[in-house]
Amino acid sequence: MESVTPVLTLEGIHKTFGGHHVLKGIDLEIRTGQTVVIIGASGSGKSTLLRCINFLEHPDAGRVLLAGEPIGRTVRGRSGERLVVHERELSEVRRRVGMVFQHFNLFPHMTAVQNVMEGPTSVLRLSREEAHARAHENLAKVGLSDKADQYPSRLSGGQQQRVAIARALAMQPDVMLFDEPTSALDPELVGEVLLVMRDLSVEGMTMVVVTHEMGFAFAAADHVIFLHEGLVHEEGSPEAVLREPQRERTRTFLRGLEHL
Amino acid sequence: MDYAWDFGAINRYWSVLWNGLVVTFQLAGISLLAGLALGLFVGMMRFAKSPVLTWPAAVYIEVFRNSPVLVQLVWFYYAFPVLIDTTMSAFMAAVLALSFNTSAFSAELFRGGIQSIDTGQWEAGRALGMRGPTLMRRIILPQAIRRMIPPLTGRAIELTKMTALASTIAVPELLYQGKLINAVTFRPIETYTVVAVIYLVLLWSGTLLVDRVERRLGRSDAWNR
Repeated sequence: MESVTPVLTLEGIHKTFGGHHVLKGIDLEIRTGQTVVIIGASGSGKSTLLRCINFLEHPDAGRVLLAGEPIGRTVRGRSGERLVVHERELSEVRRRVGMVFQHFNLFPHMTAVQNVMEGPTSVLRLSREEAHARAHENLAKVGLSDKADQYPSRLSGGQQQRVAIARALAMQPDVMLFDEPTSALDPELVGEVLLVMRDLSVEGMTMVVVTHEMGFAFAAADHVIFLHEGLVHEEGSPEAVLREPQRERTRTFLRGLEHL
Repeated sequence: MDYAWDFGAINRYWSVLWNGLVVTFQLAGISLLAGLALGLFVGMMRFAKSPVLTWPAAVYIEVFRNSPVLVQLVWFYYAFPVLIDTTMSAFMAAVLALSFNTSAFSAELFRGGIQSIDTGQWEAGRALGMRGPTLMRRIILPQAIRRMIPPLTGRAIELTKMTALASTIAVPELLYQGKLINAVTFRPIETYTVVAVIYLVLLWSGTLLVDRVERRLGRSDAWNR
């Protein structure tokens, strides 16, 4: 196999919330251009795992490596090893790792185009002209050029999520994380968002997607991971995991989805 | 009651009342602006990570919220200058007392306004790589301040009422000027009725303005959720 450094590597990620052990040691490697889909029942830790990648949740143990470089440094304290990441480094990591949220989280006091310009101007320090051009490019990419001057409250859920995708893309990230991007949408609006995501995947964007949309996983994923009780329970190609799951838990989970 | 009203007796003193009104406006205006600026600062301190900042801020707020404004006024006029070995005009003392009082109140407003912003907004900002001050200035405060406008305008009206307390330390504001007029005309009924009516007109029009601003904010919900 190729020996290229993975864009993103997770090593032994653990996370506990108030005594509840959510992630019990996750290892993961993602290569440039790959689309990895993470599936699993609610409470299996898939969103937490995603949020540990850009440190919206701080992993209790383990390492995250971006292009082979470990994020933060491990400090040996009284209560064992601890990962310390400085503000500056966090910011650096997050501008290279884009994120799309379940509830869009657009900035309601800004128009669509202002939402997309915000990161490039206030974080990347681009000039307004450059940021504006970049914002329009990305709004066009998600098919919303005509909505540039609308406030989020005037947009449908599907449109809001596409603006949120454009906002993340405008940072020109190395990796994009999608946290159940269609779960909050009315069924008839899911398609337009998945379409944009498929285009991105085809264009070669590196993506980690937490979703219940098996159609998307089948069509776009290079690799599917089934999380169960905080561990990778089964993984492989979409055909292997979704068509011929080897393990009973995976089968039960997929059967449950069919009945939805 | 058989009383012969005679407003003619205070006719000569309109300019005295006018001067008082100007001082009332100055006192309220300066205290509001200074109080808001200081309140933002104290409110931010309450969000600090270190207890070295959060504790003094909390104590400061409780001290000013839990003592009568009149006591604060008297303290700043009679006690504070002695404490720091200086002299201070009554107006200055009143500005200090009312500014600090307003800052404690608005610090809590800023804190509440900021806390009312959905965690998703913080996360979206952080996910773009924004750091504390930028996130606060660009994302959180613009939304929080908009929510704070109705209680803040209400506070401005309360503050204007409070300025009348400054008459007790001889600040020449509207009520104090009324007292002066009464001292020479011996017409308390006419004098204090006029003073009351001026306050009424002033505060009522202020209230109407606030209502309009509030309705406007509610209606032009370009980004209200």
